[in-house]
Amino acid sequence: MRMPSIVSFALLATVLLADLPAQRGRRGQRPPQQPEQAAPAPEAKKEESKKPKAYLAVVGADVYLGTGQRMTGATVLVADDKIESVGQNLELPEGTTVIDAKGKIVSPGFICVLGNGMGAPRSAPFADGVNPFDPEIKQGLAAGITAFMAGSPGGGSSPSGSNAVIKLAYGDVKGMVLEENTVVAMNVPLSLADREKLEQAVKQAREYIEAVDNFPKTKAADPNAKEPPMPRGGETMVAILRGEKKLWINLSGGGFNPFGGRRTGAASDLPAIREALEISKLLGQGVVLQKPTSAWLAPDEIAATGSMVVISPRDRLPADPKDPDRTGSNIASTALLAAAGVPVAVTCPGGMFGGTGVGTGGILGQDLNTPHVDAAFAVRGGLDNRKALRTLTLDAARILGVDARIGSLEAGKDADILILDGDPLHYATFVETAIVNGKVVYEKAKEPLFRHISR
Amino acid sequence: MNMQHLPRSLSFAACTAALLALASARAAAQDARPIAFTNARLLTMAGEPIEGGTLVVRNGKIEAIGKDAVVPAGARVIDCTDMTIMPGLVSAVSSAGLTQPPSRRTQPTQQRGRRSMPMPMPGGGGGAQDKAATRVVDGIYAKQPVFGDLLRAGVTTLALTPPGSAFPGLGAILNPDGKSLDELTEQAEGFVQIGMSIDAQTKKLLKGNFDAAAKVLEARKKPPEPKPEEKKPEEAKPEAKKEEPKPEEKKGETPPQPQPTPTPDPKPEPKPEPKQDPKPAQPQQPAAQRRPEPPKNPNIEVLADLLEGKRRAMLEISSAAEMLHWQQVFETTPKFQRTLVVQSYNTQQGTIDEVLEQAKSFECAVLLPPTLSTTPRSRMLTHPAKALHDAGIEIGFLLGSNDATVKQTFFRLMELVRTGLPSDVALRGVTLVPAKALGVQERTGSLEVGKDADLLVFHGDPLTPSSELHAVWRRGQKVPEKP
Repeated sequence: MRMPSIVSFALLATVLLADLPAQRGRRGQRPPQQPEQAAPAPEAKKEESKKPKAYLAVVGADVYLGTGQRMTGATVLVADDKIESVGQNLELPEGTTVIDAKGKIVSPGFICVLGNGMGAPRSAPFADGVNPFDPEIKQGLAAGITAFMAGSPGGGSSPSGSNAVIKLAYGDVKGMVLEENTVVAMNVPLSLADREKLEQAVKQAREYIEAVDNFPKTKAADPNAKEPPMPRGGETMVAILRGEKKLWINLSGGGFNPFGGRRTGAASDLPAIREALEISKLLGQGVVLQKPTSAWLAPDEIAATGSMVVISPRDRLPADPKDPDRTGSNIASTALLAAAGVPVAVTCPGGMFGGTGVGTGGILGQDLNTPHVDAAFAVRGGLDNRKALRTLTLDAARILGVDARIGSLEAGKDADILILDGDPLHYATFVETAIVNGKVVYEKAKEPLFRHISR
Repeated sequence: MNMQHLPRSLSFAACTAALLALASARAAAQDARPIAFTNARLLTMAGEPIEGGTLVVRNGKIEAIGKDAVVPAGARVIDCTDMTIMPGLVSAVSSAGLTQPPSRRTQPTQQRGRRSMPMPMPGGGGGAQDKAATRVVDGIYAKQPVFGDLLRAGVTTLALTPPGSAFPGLGAILNPDGKSLDELTEQAEGFVQIGMSIDAQTKKLLKGNFDAAAKVLEARKKPPEPKPEEKKPEEAKPEAKKEEPKPEEKKGETPPQPQPTPTPDPKPEPKPEPKQDPKPAQPQQPAAQRRPEPPKNPNIEVLADLLEGKRRAMLEISSAAEMLHWQQVFETTPKFQRTLVVQSYNTQQGTIDEVLEQAKSFECAVLLPPTLSTTPRSRMLTHPAKALHDAGIEIGFLLGSNDATVKQTFFRLMELVRTGLPSDVALRGVTLVPAKALGVQERTGSLEVGKDADLLVFHGDPLTPSSELHAVWRRGQKVPEKP
């Protein structure tokens, strides 16, 4: 589908004008994008010739793109399971199913970096165990969740983990697993021996990658040259260094405390944060810090390494009364990190029963599946409202390493869209319609969950 | 199982008396004196009900049926005014005799209060199995009261379903009034049981074995050039042949089955059967076939027979999620004679009516639990049976594995009818449809001339709460009351 150039020009102009405030808020971050320009023209046309696309348009809403931008009265056009374009006054192809969303807010689906239940099996193989008719899926969708990471991010003294990014594609087995094992995790602090091993592994992986990169040259010089062998057990590290997997570093030392106690002992995990940043420097790339309670004390150090953070704004750690300025948690943590340019994903606090992830099981299930409330706590701590949405959308997707597919409303990305009846982070906001992979999978008015509540 | 606690001599006397009575009864049945049920309301399952009709039975078969069927001279006339006669129930899915239903009954009395309810495991609890050629009947103990109980409750044809997912074995069709294993067994290899379950191992087995079977079938279809190969198809055929002429053979077999005396007490086989079976059964077949060089996998041969049309299958897909996973394994489901089985409604994985289109694409009947379901986590009732019927899918019902569930079935059917299912569909669903599923529709499942006289005689309409099962007739003989 092609827009008249005038329309697209007008669009571009409106985006640039309409989003001045947004851009102000995003100063110092990624350069502004014009998502509606990046039309996936060639591929789209190929598919078109195969079989007619099913078009779906969400029309007239205020659209939060997930990148921090907002477009008023815009249309999101979906072709099959991907977003075709986003913009004002889009020309809709014939046969488009139109959802009128005037006066509503449209947002990308929320992404929970840690989760469980909701149709996902507890462990691998994920694709063979998903339950696409799990009623928890509807509950998750009602909370705005369209994707989450199931399984374990991993832990231990070397990177490991078995997990998958699960989409809440109700009734669609294939659509439920976005990607497996995009994340590996390890714990700090490390013993000296483990540290040594890690350095060794990084060195070997670097040498291997270099050898592979140089292999064409070597082969040209010596036709008998063999392909460089993968260092034993080094696949994970190679994948991390190549940017294929995100390395998470757990600061709580892993483990599960059944009594739900806080990290006892230190009222600050700053040493652990610094050790994690050391690992980041060793790798020469950013890592993901999982729940760094004292991150507010070192936002610039974290930003300097290009690392990202998973945090729960509701988590509380009492300060050491002897040193109250440099210990404990801080509700402004997320805001300070964001101001320093650190991408942050929000999750819910670890608790006595709820675990550390968003899920619908357990005693607190109903409470915990409200990620937007967690993000709202970050807003209370001073985070810009629109940036706070990023903690549930694009930045969460980056932290999971799936930002090429989900996290924002941009052409070519998966059509995971929420139609909301209010501000995305307001506690009273309901999801009216949730669309995953271009299919309407939740409608508040039709599900028995919240249809009795009207505003 | 013991005959009460009678003194031995007395029980012996009782036995001989019973035997004599039985012998005379058999003689009476085999003498050509026909039986005529008159003035009955006949639910034939083959057409409209016949009011005030006559049903003539001779030699265990239905000789005539109709409003004005002639009562033959010398017939024993049974006046059935105010009574309804329908075909005997066909239970196409059951684990009667495989599990111990008493355990459930005794549990509450043994330990009151906190008792661990047996949680039904998804996929039948057996886990993924690869023993398609194992006959479930080889592992059963024949002298269990459950068979007689089922017969008295109206089940005149009973299937025995091997438990487990993937390929748990060959299901059997039983004569519920058999006293020994041979008498009990109508068809030892009645159908291939296939179970879907959402786990990687099951999916892998399903895919791998069906692919292998397709290859075997291709090899079979090739003109047999090398001689060793010629031998195998022949070996495979006798098994299959047994099934094709099932009805007739079985009829021929039942009388001359006094032989079964050699079948001694089947006690060596009793409970540990499910686990022991596969081993004894499997080695036997390969041993016979190992003479030609490449050993055949009997489990694959069975599937190849299935694909060739020589066998039929019960395909257990209990939830919408399982259905979608099945379709992920097979983009196009291989063609074979089948019946879909939904063991129970699992709202956690979606009920079958959520995937109507997919269910329709199987182009076969679906056997369902005779209940309503609910939407997940709510009390809102749904009617999957009606949804499937309205979508044009032939539906049948499961009767459970003991007499209690069978007796409940009529009340459950009443509820389904009250909520919109046509009553003839409900009744066909416990007779003709499961009979077709088992491939015995030529013999039973409806009241038609030439079929076995498997009859249920009700006071009043079977689908009214006040009706009562008055008598069960199996192959022209009245089933005696419980001794």
